[in-house]
Formats: sequence, C-alpha cells, structure tokens
Amino acid sequence: MALIELRDINKTYNNGQPLHVLKGINLDIERGEFVSIMGASGSGKSTLLNILGILDNYDTGTYHLAGKLIKDLTESKAADYRNRMIGFIFQSFNLIGFKTAVENVELPLFYQGVPRRERHAKAMEYLEKLGLTQWATHFPNEMSGGQRQRVAIARALITKPEIILADEPTGALDSKTSVEVMQLLKQLNKEEGITIIVVTHESGVANETDKIIHIKDGIIGNIEENTTHSAWDGSVMK
Amino acid sequence: MRIDRDTFREILDSLLRNRSRSLLTGFGVFWGVFMLMLLSGGGNGFREILEKNFEGFAHNTCIVFPTETTKPYKGFQKGRYWSLNLTDIDRLRNLVPELETISPLMSLWGKSVTNGDKLITATVKGVRPDYSNIETPKLVYGRYINQMDLQDTKKVCVIGKKVYKTLFPEGGDPCGNMVVMDGVYYQVVGVDYNEGNMNVNGRADEAVTIPQTTMSRTYNFGNEIQLLCFTAKEGIQMADILPKVRGVIARGHYVHPDDEQAMFMINTQVLFGIIDNLFKGINFLVWLIGLGTLLAGAIGVSNIMMVSVKERTTEIGIRRAIGATPNQILWQIIAESIVLTLVAGMMGIVASVLVLGAVELGMTEDGILKATFQVSFGVALLAALLLSVLGSLAGLAPSLRAMAIKPVDAMRDE
Repeated sequence: MALIELRDINKTYNNGQPLHVLKGINLDIERGEFVSIMGASGSGKSTLLNILGILDNYDTGTYHLAGKLIKDLTESKAADYRNRMIGFIFQSFNLIGFKTAVENVELPLFYQGVPRRERHAKAMEYLEKLGLTQWATHFPNEMSGGQRQRVAIARALITKPEIILADEPTGALDSKTSVEVMQLLKQLNKEEGITIIVVTHESGVANETDKIIHIKDGIIGNIEENTTHSAWDGSVMK
Repeated sequence: MRIDRDTFREILDSLLRNRSRSLLTGFGVFWGVFMLMLLSGGGNGFREILEKNFEGFAHNTCIVFPTETTKPYKGFQKGRYWSLNLTDIDRLRNLVPELETISPLMSLWGKSVTNGDKLITATVKGVRPDYSNIETPKLVYGRYINQMDLQDTKKVCVIGKKVYKTLFPEGGDPCGNMVVMDGVYYQVVGVDYNEGNMNVNGRADEAVTIPQTTMSRTYNFGNEIQLLCFTAKEGIQMADILPKVRGVIARGHYVHPDDEQAMFMINTQVLFGIIDNLFKGINFLVWLIGLGTLLAGAIGVSNIMMVSVKERTTEIGIRRAIGATPNQILWQIIAESIVLTLVAGMMGIVASVLVLGAVELGMTEDGILKATFQVSFGVALLAALLLSVLGSLAGLAPSLRAMAIKPVDAMRDE
C-alpha cells in the first residue's frame, strides 16, 4: 500500500452557490517520493493540499495515510495525526511572531507533551542541521525570509512526520533564496528519505521535484516523471 | 490540561505581549475587588463603631417609669402622680413569667464624691446585683454589687472610669479605699470601665453605684423606686408581653389599664431592630455595588479576550495546524482569562487590605483598636475563589470562539 492513497475524492463547497472543487481525485504517493502538485489558481490544488494535510474534510471517497483511513475524524484525533504524521511548510512561513526561532521549532513537541529540556535539545539539533544555531534566540522579524522558511522547515521536521506538505514554499522568497530552499528540500528527500509534496504554480519550482502532478479543474491531468529535471528549460526562473 | 511551567509561560507570553491592554483590562477587575473589599471592611468598621455605643447593654431590655395619669380611674382624677415600688417587682415576677430579669434602679444626680482633696460630681445609682444583666459592667478592678451587700445594706460602691481617674489619679487598685458622699463613707469594691453610650440615668463612667437597699435607706426612698428595668426570656419578643406588664403594674397602682401615657416604656428591642435593619441595608448596598463593579470588570475581561482571540486567529490556526487539539486551545484561553482576573483581583485584595490596615492604624488609640475595619482571611479567600469563577466564566465565550477556529480559516486569513 502506498503511503498516500486517494480514491475518488470529491469535495464541494457550499457557500451560496455549490462549487464542485475536486471531482474524483485518484492518487498514490509512495514513501520517499518528492512530488509537486501543479495547477493554476482555482484548479483545486489548495483544497487537495488541505485534505492531504487533514485540515479539511472531503465529501466522498477514501484517503489513507500510512495505512490509516483519514475520514470523519474528531477534531482532537485530526490534531493528533497532523501533529505526528504531517509537517507543514507555508508560503508565509506562519511562524508565531512573539516566539523565538527555537520556541517556534519546539511548539509541535509542546503539544505532544515532550518535556521542556528534551524539546529544547531536539529543536536546537534541528536548527543546527539547518544552519541556524546562532539565530535560535532571535524572533522571526529579525530574520530574512530564507531564514524564516528554514525555521519553518525545522518545525515541520521535528516530529519526524510521514510527509512534508509545502504550500508554495518559495512564494514569498526571492529567486536566489527560492533555489536554496528547493535545494534544501531536495537534499532532505535524498539524504533522509522524507516524502515531500510541494504545491506550486511555478514550473521552475516544480521542475526541482521528481514527479509533477498536474491538476486542472478539479481532476488530475497528466503525471510527469521528472527524474532528469528537464521538464522545464530553466530560462526564466522567476 | 497539564499545569506546568510551559503552560504557564504560554499564558504569560500572550498576556504580556499586550502589556497595556492587559493592564487596563485588569484594572477593571482590580477596582471591582478593591471597592468590594474596601466597602465591606469599611461597613463593618462603621457598624462596630456604632455598636460600641450600645456595648454592654442588653438588647431585649425595657425600661418603665411612671408619669402623670391622663385618665380618671376608680375614683381617682386624671393628672395624678404615682410611683413604682418594690412590690411591683414581686408582682411582675409572679404574674409575668416571660420576664427574665426584673431590676429596680434609682439615681440621684450631682452628688459630690471626695477622696481626700480630690472631688468629682457624680451620679449615684442604687442597683441590685441582677442589674448587671441589663448594663454589663466592664470591671477592671474588684467586683460588682452582690447579694450580701444588698441584704446587709453595706456601704460599698463600684465607681465609673471617670470617677476612678479623678479620685485616684495615681492609678492602681482602689478597692478597699473609702470615698465620701453626702457625709457617708463608702468602701470602693470595684471599678467599672464600661464606656458605652447607652446608659440608664446617666453615663456609667460618671456613676457611683451602690446597693439599692443602701440607697433607699440613706436617701429615704422607702419602698419607692424610680424606674424598673426588665429583660424578656430568650425567644420572647418584648413587644408581645408589654401589654401584660402594663396591666400588672397599672392594677397595682389604680392606674387605668389603657392609660398609655401614665407609664413611659422604652423598648430597646425596637431600637436595636432599626439599627440592625439599617446595617442589613448598608450591607446589601455594599455587595450590590461591589459585585456590580466586579462583574463589570469581568465583562471587560471577556470582551478583551474576545478581541484578543479575533486578533490571534492566525496564531491559533497555526497552533491547530501543527497539532494543538481544540481542548488545548480552549484551556489556554480560559487559563489566560483566569490568570488575568486572578492576578488583578489579588492586587485588588492586597491594595484594599493595605488601605484598611492604614485606616485601622489611624483609628488606634493608646494601642487599643477602636473598631476592626480589616476584612477577614475567610472573606479574602472567598473573594479569590469568586475571582477564579468569574475569570473562567469570562474566558468561556472567547475560548469557545477560539476553539471554533479551523486551521484552514487561519490560512485563508492571510
């Protein structure tokens, strides 16, 4: 069984006019894959990401994550799964502004009930891995965008999740930093074997991944194998 | 929810992030508790000061004395003067069993009392030992008039505070010394420090109290007495038995039983009842105002927490996304509310205790406290408990709103 198994996922938003966003998504993602989900805005890729991240419910179909059926979970169960199985990386970093870098990284472990000392040591370890040791006691607004995103990555990694979901991870970064962040994700995938799913609308970003899943109007278009990273010629990276 | 250093830090972090707002919100609660404590302490002190005036005076006493008759009766014309006598005591004791103490009192004013070259003008009162049930003496030296004094018509006296201070300025125990009044030597057997402002026939501190028999004989009262004091037995309302008392006395003196003006009766139970009600009213107002202010403060906390939750939608969304359960969010907001309310309230309690302490310091004379203004520890504890309850109630609505925040909403908020 694949790590992620989506079978005929349908999702309709009922805000006044019913909006059928996902129209029967079937998708398998294996452990250790580095894939991107590409699509224009309104294609349903964010909705798909929310469902993958157990942030939103779907109407029909089944979603198995690491063999567990993710459907109609209670809020606390969903929170627990999110905490243990999924690491999030957001476009706008979503660090908590009044907490230092190390405190932000510690936060998922705080909700797991890990003792303070152990939590701190672990957070420092991950910050070191991402080259942020000297920034540990700084607040997010004292750091550059790239540094903030690396703190966010550390926070995503600290619970050793099954998958990392990155929602436009380079959307708020300049091109040089974007490349660095993508290199980092690639490295994490290669060296640690972490499954990473990147949602993006940028071909340049998608090209860094090994597999590109195109989504259009709520259905999956073609799935492009991209092991050579030649899906895009690289002429206009941003 | 785990209660440890981390949880507490989370709470402090979010409260201190908006220092001035937390401060201003807390002030509402602070002021509420401060006012409540101050008013209730002040009310108590005021009550004690007032009650000091009635100290040592039985609350269910009635005093009766004769005046001119206003109705003709049994051949007697109206406008007749009559007087009570010692037989009335026996009659009342036999016919009105509801009465506890029945004690006569007679007084003469403006008597010169001397001890060597010291002189004071005092009131002389003739009493029986059971008069102490009506006006409780506060004896600092010696004893009160007793049955032996009464039976043997002894020339002994209990002197009031002022009399003692004037006649014995050097202080010390004056018992055994002689004082002279109208050429008669009386041996001092006690000193009465009762300073209550409620006395019969003159202030207790200016009185020289002697046995009733001695008084009757020395000043030729014979069988007559000036007034009668009596108390009702436990659980009996004085007002209920007064007509019976009136009837018994009237019959003995050929006074018309319905002639209310011929017999002057003062019922202290009514008086004390009025004062009691007054303080009940004051107490009610104190709690109404205090609790009202406190409640307004708590509503302020609730409001601000609501705003704070609204502001922190994203933050709460992030917390939810990375694994906080709704319960953890709920408790965090409620705990923030409780901590804010409790800290502000505790400061209010401390401030009011300090102010009341200062008031007490100002009211202390010669190291003796005139009245207790300070709130008791129990009341303070109750206030703290009340604050916790209020705090959690104030945090309830905002925390429910925070709990309803979905991580997706938070992300969409960008």
